[in-house]
Amino acid sequence: MKAFRSMVLVSSDPDSMERGALDVFSKLQQQIKAYDLDEEISLSMISDVSKKGRDPLVLVYPDAVIYGSVTPADVPHIVEEHLYKGQVVEEKQISPYDLSGSVAWLSARKGTLPAENRIVLKNVGLIDPEIIDEYIINEGYQALGKVLNEMTPEETISIIKDSGLRGRGGAGFPTGLKWQFVKGAKGEKKYVICNADESEPGTFKDRLVLEGDPHAIIEAMTIAAYAVGANEGYIYIRGEYGLAISRMKKAILQARDYGLLGENIFDTSFSFDLHIHAGAGAYICGEETALIESIEGNRGEPRSRPPYPTTKGLWQKPTLVNNVETLANIPAIIRNGAEWYKSIGTPSSPGTKVYTILGNVNVTGLIEVPMGITLREVISIYAKGMKDGATFKLAQTGGSSGSIIPASLQDTPMDFDSFKNAGVSLGSGALLICNEDVCVVDLAKVLLNFFRFESCGKCNPCRIGNKRAYEILSNISEGVGTLKDLDDLLMLNDQLYELSNCGLGQTACSPLHDILTHFRAEVEAHIKLKICPTDVCPMSGRWAYQIDGYRCNGVSLL
Amino acid sequence: MSKPTVASDWLCGCAGCHMSILDIDERILQLVELVDLRATPITDLKEPDEDGVTVGILEGGINNTYNEEVAKKMRERCKILVALGDCAVFGGVPAMRNFCGAKAALQRAYVDAESNDSEGKIPSDPELAEMTHVRAVHEVVPVDLFIPGCPPDADIIFYALTELAQGRIPEIKNDKLHWH
Amino acid sequence: MINLKIDGKNIEVEEGTTVLEAAEAAGVYVPTLCHHPQLTPYGGCRLCMVDVEGARTLQPSCTLPASDGMVVNTNSEKVLNARKFVLTLLFSERNHFCMYCQVSGGDCELQNRAYDEDMTHWDLQPNWQPFEVDASHPFMVLDNNRCILCRRCVRACGELVGNFTLGFEERGADSLLVADYDVPLGESSCISCGTCVQICPTGAIIDRQSAYKGKEIDVEHHVGVCTECSVGCQRDVLTRDNHLVRIEGDWDAPLNHGLLCDQGRFLPLEEDRPRLLTPLVRKDGSLKAATWEKALEAIEAGLGKGKGLAALASTRLPIEDLALFKSLFADGLEAELVTSLEEGFPTASLAALADATSDPFEDSLDALKDTDAVLSLELDLVEDHQVAGFFIKRQLQDGTKLIVADSDENKLADKATLKLDFKSKFLDQLLDAVENGSDDDGINKAASILKEAEKPCIVYGEDFAAQADEKELQALLELKQALNATLIGVKGNANSMAASQLGLDSPFKSNGYQSAFVMLGDEKPTQKLVKALEEVPFVVAQAAYGSQLTGNADIVLPITMWAEQSGTYLNMDGRLQEAVKALDAPDGVLTSQEALLKIAERLGIEPETDWEASLKSRVPTIEIQKA
Repeated sequence: MKAFRSMVLVSSDPDSMERGALDVFSKLQQQIKAYDLDEEISLSMISDVSKKGRDPLVLVYPDAVIYGSVTPADVPHIVEEHLYKGQVVEEKQISPYDLSGSVAWLSARKGTLPAENRIVLKNVGLIDPEIIDEYIINEGYQALGKVLNEMTPEETISIIKDSGLRGRGGAGFPTGLKWQFVKGAKGEKKYVICNADESEPGTFKDRLVLEGDPHAIIEAMTIAAYAVGANEGYIYIRGEYGLAISRMKKAILQARDYGLLGENIFDTSFSFDLHIHAGAGAYICGEETALIESIEGNRGEPRSRPPYPTTKGLWQKPTLVNNVETLANIPAIIRNGAEWYKSIGTPSSPGTKVYTILGNVNVTGLIEVPMGITLREVISIYAKGMKDGATFKLAQTGGSSGSIIPASLQDTPMDFDSFKNAGVSLGSGALLICNEDVCVVDLAKVLLNFFRFESCGKCNPCRIGNKRAYEILSNISEGVGTLKDLDDLLMLNDQLYELSNCGLGQTACSPLHDILTHFRAEVEAHIKLKICPTDVCPMSGRWAYQIDGYRCNGVSLL
Repeated sequence: MSKPTVASDWLCGCAGCHMSILDIDERILQLVELVDLRATPITDLKEPDEDGVTVGILEGGINNTYNEEVAKKMRERCKILVALGDCAVFGGVPAMRNFCGAKAALQRAYVDAESNDSEGKIPSDPELAEMTHVRAVHEVVPVDLFIPGCPPDADIIFYALTELAQGRIPEIKNDKLHWH
Repeated sequence: MINLKIDGKNIEVEEGTTVLEAAEAAGVYVPTLCHHPQLTPYGGCRLCMVDVEGARTLQPSCTLPASDGMVVNTNSEKVLNARKFVLTLLFSERNHFCMYCQVSGGDCELQNRAYDEDMTHWDLQPNWQPFEVDASHPFMVLDNNRCILCRRCVRACGELVGNFTLGFEERGADSLLVADYDVPLGESSCISCGTCVQICPTGAIIDRQSAYKGKEIDVEHHVGVCTECSVGCQRDVLTRDNHLVRIEGDWDAPLNHGLLCDQGRFLPLEEDRPRLLTPLVRKDGSLKAATWEKALEAIEAGLGKGKGLAALASTRLPIEDLALFKSLFADGLEAELVTSLEEGFPTASLAALADATSDPFEDSLDALKDTDAVLSLELDLVEDHQVAGFFIKRQLQDGTKLIVADSDENKLADKATLKLDFKSKFLDQLLDAVENGSDDDGINKAASILKEAEKPCIVYGEDFAAQADEKELQALLELKQALNATLIGVKGNANSMAASQLGLDSPFKSNGYQSAFVMLGDEKPTQKLVKALEEVPFVVAQAAYGSQLTGNADIVLPITMWAEQSGTYLNMDGRLQEAVKALDAPDGVLTSQEALLKIAERLGIEPETDWEASLKSRVPTIEIQKA
């Protein structure tokens, strides 16, 4: 691999491509060649670092300069001034803080902000994911080499256990322990599955790793397979992630080419290969047993547990299922050791967590910070405060079925145990920050609509109960709710928790429960006073879900 | 000590439940020892007493605004409201109208029916009650006792009335509980 | 062994038992809806939830494996509330009108569960969205308004029958039961086995023939063997006031455990042939009604004996009738030809093999239920013997390989792993391939599949038996040895095997017979038989239904059809099973046995009545045992 003095990266996400990123790229290529700089300057396209309206972007390293809204016409000037003469073209430059929805924090950032600690997102946005060499140069596949050549499966599991890594898909189960279960399960044939179904609304952390650093997952899965005794693996990527699927496919082919996948990896007796399975638009397939059913070709419906996938998983064989973010931590832990990992984060939840910051804040996007920072810190430091000086009203953590956090809990450290003790769930790390313009009834309605739509339909409480809860909330939002409806909603929450077959049904109503705990007065205003304090709900006075017996002409929905 | 009083009325039903009441045959003589039968659709007094009755019985479901009024009046004027029969308890056969809507049902009955010999016309007198979505009685007024059945057996009705007469809420279960 | 406590009762069960099974063993009742003992547990209806000490939430007992030291409570307040909640939600989801549903009043499991919980009304009313009613199928109606989405029918169609016609489309509250990719049931791949009708807990899938005709409380049950083919499924014939109401499979039957096919379940109720009710005697060219006396008189006069007399019997008749028939005609009248209507077609060559080796070589049908490779010779098990076909079809998804060898089109071919052309000497070639390999790719592949299998099974029927010569049959036996395979011989009609044991397997060639006695039973005569009998001057027919054959006969005796007689049947794998009389025959109609005895009496013959002994007259292809 050559050494370059500068790296120029052009954003290649769908929005950038629409705005002519390819033309910018070819113009840059042409100009760099014209100035005879092609031996010194490396030019690549990289994954999503976009902000709407500012694409396409051109990033220059190591200067840490971002040019926004670049057109082919701008290119000759940029190449001459910056790449040839070394002077930044300030009129095209944009601040890194103007970027969102991606990894926007450049390592050359100055200032007093607490540094992010990028383990999972170490390479994302900084390497070309379609060139395996760039991964290798950045300590890539070193961990795998170490594991296969110097460690036994037991030692591998041991180091993961010691590190205290906990699952990042939402459940927070100790990863090392899960690996140990699968290792100890009876049977010759075992599988490793990477859960890249990421369908939780507002979460796109896994997508960035899949698109920006696919080899990290391949390496991690190979290490996991070695540790538990599997030789076949699946990466289940949600069908909507077209770019992630094609990049992962390419990465697998390249890894096979280099002998890092397939027979006798690193010339040891260990063989492992991967398949990609694309999802088809079902949120429920993020649940591990529904995911397994989907791979087997059945309807994506969660199985009854026990038995758990660690004993009877894919094709009834012991199966390890890990989330993308969890796996992305593995190579680093192997390389740097368990102690290093434990030194970051909190004792009960070591390591970092990738949070997606969304909502009514100034800066949205992904951050990767050590476990244990508080919500207040996230909002004030990373998100740069509430947008337009609005007041914080509530935050939803952990995705659509996550907890609703009122202002009073903003100082709770965000790690698995502290949150659990406060009665809230950390989940997958989506942080939806809402200001006073958000109506809690509307929020609950939207969330329940999602669950109603995504329910797989296997078990009665979830299938019917979510629909009922949605209907009740719709009626409340139209101003025809009754106080009994609130009792019904709480009852639905309790019963769905007791009776549902999987996490979707069990937690679908829990945001609703939190809302009724912390914001009951606002909900009651919809009912008793027939007003929506935030003026969001339609409040038409008409039933959303009752049929006018006279006007109905019986048109079936089928 | 005056006997408990009982009044009944029918809404959107076929009167079968009242026929079932009559099927208690000679046991009616036993019954009137225990209760004072006040108003029913098949006796002289048609409306429950203004100062109220102990037990009110409603047969049939709610099909128009007039049914709603009758149900509300009965609820106001009785201590224990009994929903008698599947129509009152669930909506019953008339509730099938909810699948096609009142408009379509009226069209079929008054205009398109094979037995109409001239241009049918849907009655539109302003004094007619407005048709609504067909509902069970308890969707309009609170009900204290449900006796399902289509119709409930005379035995069940006799049992229920005698229990109520002696101040007990009857248990409708096992062989007394059937929805058909 | 595992020890657990359910409602205070201590119970010991084997590893792998679910809590529901343990509760049943302990005599504790737990309500269920989506559960069925023949299907793998589903855990969808959430009605069987129980309280397990130490668990975070209530647990579904149908799928929860019992563990040592578990303490279970099945009737705490939480559990009872949960049941009411589930039932309330279910009733509100679709349109459950009990007033006019034919299963209402005892036959609906949903309603019964509501009664169990003392539900007098619905806390939640339905949303009145109408659902499709699919009445396109000739035998069944699918009413989505009554469906509780328990998936029993879907699982049965897949796990028990292997047809996979029924499935679900859409997701969540939009889930809907559909056939194939949402086509009307009557146009789908449905084979009308009716398992879904039988297993549906509500009135969502109902049987058209018996709708409103008889609820459980109205009907009588008659459990006996089906007489439509040689599989010998046990079925339950439901009657009311001496009418056939419905036929159901018997879930407890060890062979077919509840499965039936359309031939055994629906088609018998479609009988529309004219019924014979009095004896008929030909006078002046046409058949006229007569008394039994007159008919017997005419038989005595015209039947003859010895050379020139041919006697043929239907293999749908019970063994008792066939043994009596043989004794009367072969021993008593020494008729020139005493055979069955099948003329030994499905059985002769195999019976000869058994005679030669003096060793039964076939295996029980149970082998077909648990095999990892099946070789089917000239047989598709799709038109007939369907239940045996189900045993094969339902294992194909789990990795069982199917090799179909047929000289013609075979309806199982599209599900098969391998389809080969069946030519003469096929088994010889296959045996060679197993021992030495072969040049023929197909045969080689078949040989390796069978060799690798742990429990291979070779299945063949009458088409194979009819053309197999001695050498091929030898090869068959050697293959059985070499592969350690089981052999399953499908045998034709309900009593083809018995007929074979009785030696009723000679061919009926026009040989200038003077008279013929045809014991037709309720069978449909073939054109070939009708034509052959036209050459015989004097024909006596014993039949239940009128046909061209009886129309041409000289004397016709009216006898019972299958439901009106009891008797013993010997199925293809040697089980002796009873068919049970379900209906009283019309006045004046006798059973074949009674008719034969009358004839025997008239002719002064005392026939042998010990049919059990006569079954032992030759070595069977499989050991005979009482079921």
